[in-house]
Parts: sequence; structure tokens; C-alpha cells
Amino acid sequence: MKFITGKHLSRRTFLRGTGASVALPFMDAMVPAGRAWRDPAAGSTRLVCVMEAMGCAGGNDWGDSQRLFAPEKVGRDFEFEQQSQLKPLEEYRDYLTVVSQTDCRMAEPFRAEEIGGDHDRSTAVFLTQAHPLQTEADVFCGKSMDQVHADRFGQETALPSLELTVEPVDRGCAYNYHCAYTNSQSWASASQPLPSIREPRAVFDQLFGAGDSPSDRAARLRTNRSLLDFIATELAQLKRELGATDRVALDEYTTHMRELERRIQLVEAQNSSGEEREMPEAPSGVPDKWQDHMALMFDLQVLALQADVTRVISFITGIDQANRTHPESGVNKSWHGASHHGNVPASIMDFHAINTYRLSQMGYFLEKMKNTMDGDASLLDKTAIVWGSPMGDPNLHNHRRCPLILMGKANGALEGNMHLRAPQGTPMANVFVSLMQKLGHDDMHHFGDSTGEFPLSFPRGTASSQVGA
Amino acid sequence: MKTLALGAMFAGMWLVVGTGPVDTGSLPSGHEAGAIFAATVASSSESTSSPSVSPATLTEVVQQYCVVCHNDALLTGNLSFQRFSVENAADEAVTAEKMIRKLRAGMMPPPGMPRPSADTLQQLVETLESTVDAAAEASPNLGDRRFQRLTREEYQRVIRDLLDLEVKAGQWLPPDIVVGAFDNASAGQRLSTTLLDSCLSAASDIARMAIGNADALSSTNKHLVPMQVSQHAWDHVDGTPFGTRGGVVVTQDFLADGEYVFQVETSLGDKAFEEDIDISIDGEPVALIMLEHGGSGRRGGGSGLISAQNTEPIFVRAGQHQVSAAFVSRLDGMYEDRFSPPEWSYSSNQGGTPGITGLSHVTELWITGPTNIAGVSETASRAKVFTCIPTSPAEERPCAKSILTDLSSRANRRPASPEQVAALMKLYDEAAAGEGFEIGVRTGLQGVLASPEFLFRLERQPADVQPGQVYRLAGVDLATRLSFFLWASAPDEELLGAAERLSDPAVLEEQVRRMLRDPRSEALSTRFLHQWLRLQGVGLVWPESYLFPGFSQQLADGLVQETHMLFDYMVQEDRSMLDIFRADYTFVNETVARHYGIEGIFGDEFRRVQYPDDRRQGVFGHGSVLQLTSMSGRTSPVLRGKWVMEVLMGTPPPPPPPNVPAFEASPDAGDGRRLTTRERMEAHSSSPVCNSCHRFIDPVGLALDNFDPTGQWRIRENMAPIDSRGEFYDGTSIATAAELADVLLKRPIPLVRNFTGRLLSYALGRPIEYFDSPTVRGIVRSAEAGDYKMSALVLGIVKSDVFQMRQAPATAN
Repeated sequence: MKFITGKHLSRRTFLRGTGASVALPFMDAMVPAGRAWRDPAAGSTRLVCVMEAMGCAGGNDWGDSQRLFAPEKVGRDFEFEQQSQLKPLEEYRDYLTVVSQTDCRMAEPFRAEEIGGDHDRSTAVFLTQAHPLQTEADVFCGKSMDQVHADRFGQETALPSLELTVEPVDRGCAYNYHCAYTNSQSWASASQPLPSIREPRAVFDQLFGAGDSPSDRAARLRTNRSLLDFIATELAQLKRELGATDRVALDEYTTHMRELERRIQLVEAQNSSGEEREMPEAPSGVPDKWQDHMALMFDLQVLALQADVTRVISFITGIDQANRTHPESGVNKSWHGASHHGNVPASIMDFHAINTYRLSQMGYFLEKMKNTMDGDASLLDKTAIVWGSPMGDPNLHNHRRCPLILMGKANGALEGNMHLRAPQGTPMANVFVSLMQKLGHDDMHHFGDSTGEFPLSFPRGTASSQVGA
Repeated sequence: MKTLALGAMFAGMWLVVGTGPVDTGSLPSGHEAGAIFAATVASSSESTSSPSVSPATLTEVVQQYCVVCHNDALLTGNLSFQRFSVENAADEAVTAEKMIRKLRAGMMPPPGMPRPSADTLQQLVETLESTVDAAAEASPNLGDRRFQRLTREEYQRVIRDLLDLEVKAGQWLPPDIVVGAFDNASAGQRLSTTLLDSCLSAASDIARMAIGNADALSSTNKHLVPMQVSQHAWDHVDGTPFGTRGGVVVTQDFLADGEYVFQVETSLGDKAFEEDIDISIDGEPVALIMLEHGGSGRRGGGSGLISAQNTEPIFVRAGQHQVSAAFVSRLDGMYEDRFSPPEWSYSSNQGGTPGITGLSHVTELWITGPTNIAGVSETASRAKVFTCIPTSPAEERPCAKSILTDLSSRANRRPASPEQVAALMKLYDEAAAGEGFEIGVRTGLQGVLASPEFLFRLERQPADVQPGQVYRLAGVDLATRLSFFLWASAPDEELLGAAERLSDPAVLEEQVRRMLRDPRSEALSTRFLHQWLRLQGVGLVWPESYLFPGFSQQLADGLVQETHMLFDYMVQEDRSMLDIFRADYTFVNETVARHYGIEGIFGDEFRRVQYPDDRRQGVFGHGSVLQLTSMSGRTSPVLRGKWVMEVLMGTPPPPPPPNVPAFEASPDAGDGRRLTTRERMEAHSSSPVCNSCHRFIDPVGLALDNFDPTGQWRIRENMAPIDSRGEFYDGTSIATAAELADVLLKRPIPLVRNFTGRLLSYALGRPIEYFDSPTVRGIVRSAEAGDYKMSALVLGIVKSDVFQMRQAPATAN
């Protein structure tokens, strides 16, 4: 037996040469001061969509009367009331466009069989604003907003889009709904939900390729290209021996191969120039604490945007009916349990405390985005962040008066420092139409169940000017 | 009346329409229903023969008794029988199957509504079944699905069999999506670029782990210790040396022979002064880290350690090893555990109060290396790969070819074709040219693991098959279905050897029986049963620490293992499937036994015990089931009742109507005492809308209310005695787990059919549809004589047409 008295080694010693290193293609020094390195008009604004699953306390009548989500005043004079859910984000006021009182009615039940299945279909509604088909087999919903953006502006980057989650469901979904409706907010088409990644290390590998060092990474990428050729040969042979159903699926696989081939080339090009990046200190596996996991996932998002590996990200911060507890909020109830607050003020406030804590995590992301320069401005100046929930008052499972905050300046498309209250009955999709137009989709006039546009400026688009209109 | 009807429509199925006042507390007395219930479709045999009633008469029965609720206007349960006729039941098989299910369970007509005689109901259900079955036999519908891909769990098992490596597939592969109840359903396994990318990453990492890497760079692997793992001295962590407390055990890949540094992160322990942490590899102690507390660190941010937390570099040979880090146990006395919530005395103690010690916990284990690489020793994985070793350059290519042919055949579950080998050799040649034999083989292995043939279970369609034609699966494809069904992994050599003879029923049966006896059939417990009973849910809602401080990860794991072992025993001993309901025995280790109050059990090993009394019976006594159906601070008779109806009976209650007031809003008892769960449950009976469903759900859950949220026996709640009495929907009084099990066992047919349907769904990789019901009924019917032995049900599935055959889609492409 060998006993060793611990001799101190600095943490630095351990980490030297241990972090995964990747190249950053873009350096501040490469851009003349004072000039944007990319023309915002060219429509390269990055889009990050963050979904919160179960509404907010301000979605409830009493909660709204207490200004738990929507501030009392609209425009630039709105205030952060002491107990507002927005309070933790007060210091980022200049970057917030709070849009209150919009609806996600596509998440409502359309037929009697769909009643009660709100938790099982909401996630798919947030970015599609389409009504999910109740089925466990051939899913059908709508193309999501982030994918619309990725199709047009994400094709030059290695990853047209990146889908992340902190919490997948590992048990069956109810009410005859496919779990894809609960696990995927990004839909490449009405029938193509995109899987979300949960393991931080897997995210990193997807962004920059797996490997221990730049040369290892490069070697693996080369091998992967040979492997794709190998797989293509295999597929061609296999298809001849399979039935129609299987053959169609393998054809689909072939398109994924072409996409991956394209990605590998771009990652290779990117990695072969620029400075090296380290993976944020990450354990193998998923951190135990939600807060730690969130922080890591945000770190990775900043890294991905900064390295321009992708311009479009969607992120699920928690799934419907999650019974996770957040003692840090000061409340020990489970999140879903607390969401059924029974319209009792004290219970609503418990739920509110949890949600306020959850939203406060966005502060970490905003701070990091603000402190990360991308040429002449911060990432926060150049990105549109959509934070919201397809649910309003989760006690009723309703989808009216849903929380929505647009964050960042989006290359000037968003002014920030603004609260806009939508006239009652405004679809959230209207806001998305206007946002997307500002992000370069000038030709978008409809999205989901939109009934028109919702100008994202003040005084136009405020409740006072539109009520009764 | 209108609002009531509307509300009940929302509620779904069991509508009590205004046919006079309804006594919601008990069954209507003096009404024919009371007398009929006892004798209703309770018959345990399907062969009951009673005087034949014509289908036309039975149609009248449906019109008379069922259309009251299930009509075009009310659409209760979204069903109308106004145009339904028993003669043409096969044309409306979807509806007929719904009726059969409810009638077999004795749920319809609901309590309080007029009923035809028991004989008539029996005739009705049997006629419906025989009509639908006959039509199905005349024109079978096998259903179809796209091919299945390996799930994370299957991937792990396959890699274990192929390369002798333990991997965590979740490290690379996206989460499996569950459809129905199971993660292996093809409909959930969508293909995506992300999936393809992750499979390539997995192939690349696993090939390196299998072969080793003499050029590996030093890197740090951090392993986290979940907060829920108790590090009390009396909750030994399985796999750490005896005489230690707390800590962690991990499987670590050592890529090369070289030096590695082990470091622990700890929390708490401010007043513990000095503690030793033992580092062991494969059970052999290799180092001791002496922690010395006494600094000014703050709890949570550091533990005031003034000593280092790492070992010197230690030489370790390549391969996978179990590494443990645990405290040498020497501390007794009062202390607080780490997973206590902030309100608990812990957070209010600034740095520990006299008399209470913040026990130090290992929170992370870091392993950094290798440095000073001395090569790569032979490992179990290398032995699996390198079936030959070239002694001269001329032997390299033939040897590589033999290795890759062998690996590819095992991985693809069928003999590798010359084209496949040629493609793999191309990968080998490219890599070997620059980097030599081993790297060449490694690249070839990456190809094997990236191949669609490996990742997807592709079943060949004979060349001359016409659209719509039914064809028998090829022997190798049937062998693969069989092994993934029973083992969740690839076929072994013996099964592949017998593949071409599986069309002989005797050979097939012999193989199935052999496979069930094989330890690998544990997959039926850990994969099928686990998902069917939703055991993933154990610990998902963690029992509140200040109410249930004894609940730890070790206990949660033990409770799940108990349920796995019961089922594994049923498979190994070929018991009746009904043991799930009636077992008077279970499996416990010391932790579980202590939880249940069973005496005389010591150590981490599980063993079979008879229940000492009749408190527990079948899975109704299992802490796993009782915990996953509870809230964090209280039991939930609704969740428990719903679980029984949905999972075990296959007759889920409809969703609750919107805007249900929450429990927490319930008033207290008026004398300052909090209401018991039962008292709050009684609110359901005051509303007809609630009661139409909850009279089915609540009594089932209440019968289990003597078990607290962790599955521990209790006789009181909120200072009031537990009252678990209730009336099952057939009128039987039940108050205990055993009585609940017994009342369910009065109607075994729906229970066995539900089980068989789930098992068939798992075996086929698709949800069970209405057109599968005749198959299920056939299997159950033939298993009845042997009291539903496990082997009879498994063989019934394996021998069924849906398992052995496929049907080409009706239209080409």
C-alpha cells in the first residue's frame, strides 16, 4: 500500500493543456476601430430563443394586478416594482423590451380529446405558434421561428442552428402526444422536430469537433470525412435490400450526411485560423445543480456566438410539469406543484418566487453577452434574445397573457428600455412577425396564428393607442 | 343540468347524468346495480359458456344501457354508440376495442347507472371479441414501423458485449424520446444531423478507449457526486472499501499506462479537523489524502482546508478501472447531512454550532493524466479487438482484415459482406499508411461503429415482395429482434448460429428458453419493466428532507433494484405474471430492509425474503412504486390511483377538467390541525363532475395510504389516524394493499392483456394499436392454462405473426 501525503499542486497545473482548445476565427485586432465588422442590414443578427415552460405568476389575474410581470406603465417610463419578476434584470434595463399580454392560443385545446394536454404540447407551440397534431406517431406542428432565421441567415456558419435543453423528459408523454412536442421547440419543418442537447461536453464537441488538442481535433475531423464517404457507400448498398418505409428514412439520413459534411468543412476552416479557446470548466456529465448547468449552457452559447459557429440558438430551461425544486428561491415547493397555486395569493407568491429566481439566471447570460465584444460592439448589442413562455397562468393551463421579453439590441433593431402592453387578444405571433421583419425577413407578413404586426417601438404599438381599435 | 353535462364532457368518460338523485357516497341501494356488481364480468375464465344471445339482441343492450351517455349529443368519453351494432363490430374495431377494455375491467356501465345482467354483459364482451377476432384472422393487419435504432441503453450493452467496455452513451447521443411507454419505439427515434454527428463522436471516442492511446494528452475528468448520496457513516457507498464513509465510485478510462493525479473537492467539515480520504483502484488502496481543516473558508465556497486535496502522480495501467474516493470512517456523533434544505439547521449555523458538526463530503473527484506515458498494456478491450497480432509487416493487412471482418460481423449482427469488408479496409489502408497498424485498425473500428448497419436494426425485405404482401423475416433479422427483446443487446454466437433454423418452432422455443435463463435477460427487468412501471420517476420528486431525512440516493436505488429483482426472479423461475400483484415475498438489502422494518438483514447484497406480515403484497408494497406516485411532502391517492389504473390496468382515467383548485388551498380542520390527505380527498365527492372519475381513482390510492411518500409504513398523518378504507368501483370494500391486489385479481384477464400488450409494444418497437388486440387476446388465451407463466407470454409474443413477419406498405414507395 502506498500512502501519499498530499503536496499542493495548483489548480492551474491540472488545467494546463487539459481544456479543449479551439480556434476563434475573429479577433478584435482584425477590425478597424469604430466600424462594424458585419453589416447589420445584411441580416446577420444573431437570434437566441429561450423558453420557460410554465408561464408566470403575472399571468394570473391577481398576479397581474400586483404587477408581478407586466409593469404598470408602458413605454420608457416603466418601473421595476419591488416584487416584480423583472426586478433581477433591472440593471439590464437598456436591453429589455418587455412585451406583456400576448397570447399563444395555438397551445389551447381545439378538440375535446385535447383538453388537459396543455403541458404535453406547449413547448412545440412557443416558436412555431402552430397547433400540434395530437398523435404519437407522425408528428405535425409548424416550422419554428429560429429555423426560419437559420434557413436564411445561418447557412454560412458551421451550425445553421444549435438546440439546447437542460431537461429532457425520460418518461412517456401523456394525452396521446408524442414526446417530441415536449422536448423540441425547434422545428425544421412541420414534421421535423430537432433534438436538443443536454450534455455540456456534447455541445462543445458539436461546436468545435471532439478531441484533446487542435491537432487531435483536426485529425478526427479528417477521419470523420472519410467515415462519411464510407457510410455513403454502405447506404447505397443497403437501400437496395430494404422495404419502402426503411428506404425513405435512409434517404433522409443521406441529406443529414451532406449537411454534416458541410459542417465539418466549415469547422475545419474555422479551427485552422485564429486563437484558441478553452471549454469552460466542465465536468463530464450534467451538473447536479440546475443553476450550474444553466451557467455552463450559457457559457457555451456565448462561446458559440462569439466564435460564429452558429447564429441561431434555441434553449429550453425546463420542461413542463418539471417537479424540480429551487430552494435558492426561498421556496421549497416543486415548480410544477407550485404552478397550481389555486389562485391563492400566498401560493401565487410562492410560485412567483421560484419564477423570479429562474428568470434571474438570464442576468448571468446578459452580463456575459454584454462583456463579450464582437468587433465594435458587444454581443448583447448584436443579438436578439427572445425569452418567454407559451403558457400564461399555469394554474389554469391557459395560454393568454403569456410572458415575453425581447432582450439585446439586435444590431439596432431593438431599442430596449421599453415596456409594450399588447391590446387584449394579441397573438404572440404578431410580435414575432414584427421582430423577424426587423431581423431581415422583410417579406414575412404572417407567422403561425398572427393577425398582423406588432410594432416594437413606442408610442406606436402601446395599449393606450390601440385599446378599442 | 346543462352545465353539469358540459363539465362531465370535459371530464371525459364517466358521466353521471341526471337520472334522479345520485348517492355519491356509496352504491345506490335497492337498485339492481348493487346486486349485479358482485357477479359482473368477474369471471376469471374466458371459456364461460352461457346460453347464446344473438348479436342483434346485444346491440339492443348497447342501445338501451350505453347510449344514455355515449350519444351524439353528449359524446361522453368522445364516444357515441348511436349507430353501433354488435354484428358489425369488426367495422368499428376502434370503438369495439374501447368497449371491450372497459367491459372486461367491469367499469361500464359505471356505478350508479342501470346495468344489464352479468351474463348479458359477459355475452356482450365475448361476442364483441369473437367478432373482431374472426375478422382480424380473415384479413390480418400487421402494422408497420420504420427500422429501430440503438437506444442509449442498448448502445451501452452492445458496446459492452462487443468491446468489453462500460460507456455512458448519453455522453454523445441525444436523449431518447419515449413513445407510448418505451424509448425503443421507432416513432420516437428521429434521424437528424445532430444524431449523425454524435454517433461519429461516439465512434471516435470509443475506438480510442478500446485500443488505448499511447499519444494521449493529459486531460482532467471531473466526476460529480450528487447531493442526494448520503455520506453518513451508516450509509456505506456500494463499491467503496469497508470501513469508509461517503465518497464516490467511478469507472474511468485510462487511455495509456502512465501517471495520473487524483484530486477531491470537498464541502463542509469545518470542525472535522483532520480526515483521511482513501483512493482505491479496483478495490486496491493506492493513496491516502489527508485533509486538514482549520482555515477560514466559508461553507459552500470552500471548507477552509489548509491541506492539499490531491495525490502525487500515481502509475496506472491502461484500461477501464473502478476508482473510489471515500473517507476513512472515524467520526461519530451528531452532525447534519449535506442534502438538508436551507431552512434546516444547517444554513442557520454560521460555521457550525457547538455540538453539531458539518460532516465533510466529497463533492467531486478529478482524475488528471496521463503523463510520463509508458505505453499501452493489454486490456480486456484490446483482447476483444486484436484477435491476431502481426509479427511482420506482411502479416499486418491480412490480420487487420480478419479483425475488421470479425468486428463488423458481430457489430452488424450478420456476416459481413465482401463489399463491407472492402469499405472498412479502405479506411484501414488510409490510416495505416501514415500511422501504422494499430491506428489503421482503430480507424476501421470507427467505421464499424459509424455504420448504419450497426446503429440501425435494418431488416431485409425479400427482392420479389409486392406492395401489401406479408413476408417472414430472415433468420438473422428474427434473431436480432429476439435478442433486443430479451437482452436489449445483439445476438450471441449461439443464437446467430441457430438463426437459419429459427423457423422451426422447437428450435425457436429452445433458444427463447435458453435466453430467458441467461443473466442477460435482466434487460426485461431493467429496461421493459422499468419503463412500464415508470421507475424512472423514483426520486424525480425528492421527498422533503426535513420530513423524510432518511431518504437517500442509496435507498432510492435500492427500492428500484427491489422491483427489478422481483421481476427478474419471476422470469428466471418462470412464475406467473400475476406475481406482480400477489407476491408475498420480495428482495431487500440492509438499507431497504431497515426502511421496511424487516429485521435480520445485513450488508449490501439483495436477497429474497417473505414479507413478515400482510401489510405489503406484490408491487403495492414496493417503495419504488409508492414513492414515484407521491408528492414531496405528502402522499397522493390520486397519483397512486391513476398509476394503478393507467399502468397496471390499462384503463387510464380521463384528464381533469381545467381550473381545478389546488390542494394547498384546502382549509384546515378548524381546530388548527392540518387536514389529512383523506379529508382533503373527500372534497371530490361533493362535486359530481369530480366524483364521476374520482370514485374510481381515489379508493385505489387511499387503500395504499398507510404507506408514506417514501413507502414506509405509517398509522398516522397530521396527528390523525390513517383511514384507508374505500369502496372499489365494483362495490368491494378495500382498505389495504393486499385487499386492493385481491380485488384487481378478481378480473385477471384485463390485467394480463394489458401487461402482454405493453410487452408486445416493447418487443415490436411501436405502440400497440387497436388492430393488435386480437393478437394480444390470442396470446393471453393460450397462456391461461399455465396460470400466465412468464415464458408462455414471452413465447406467445415471439411466435406471433406480428413478431415474425412484416408487411410491405400497400403502395410502392
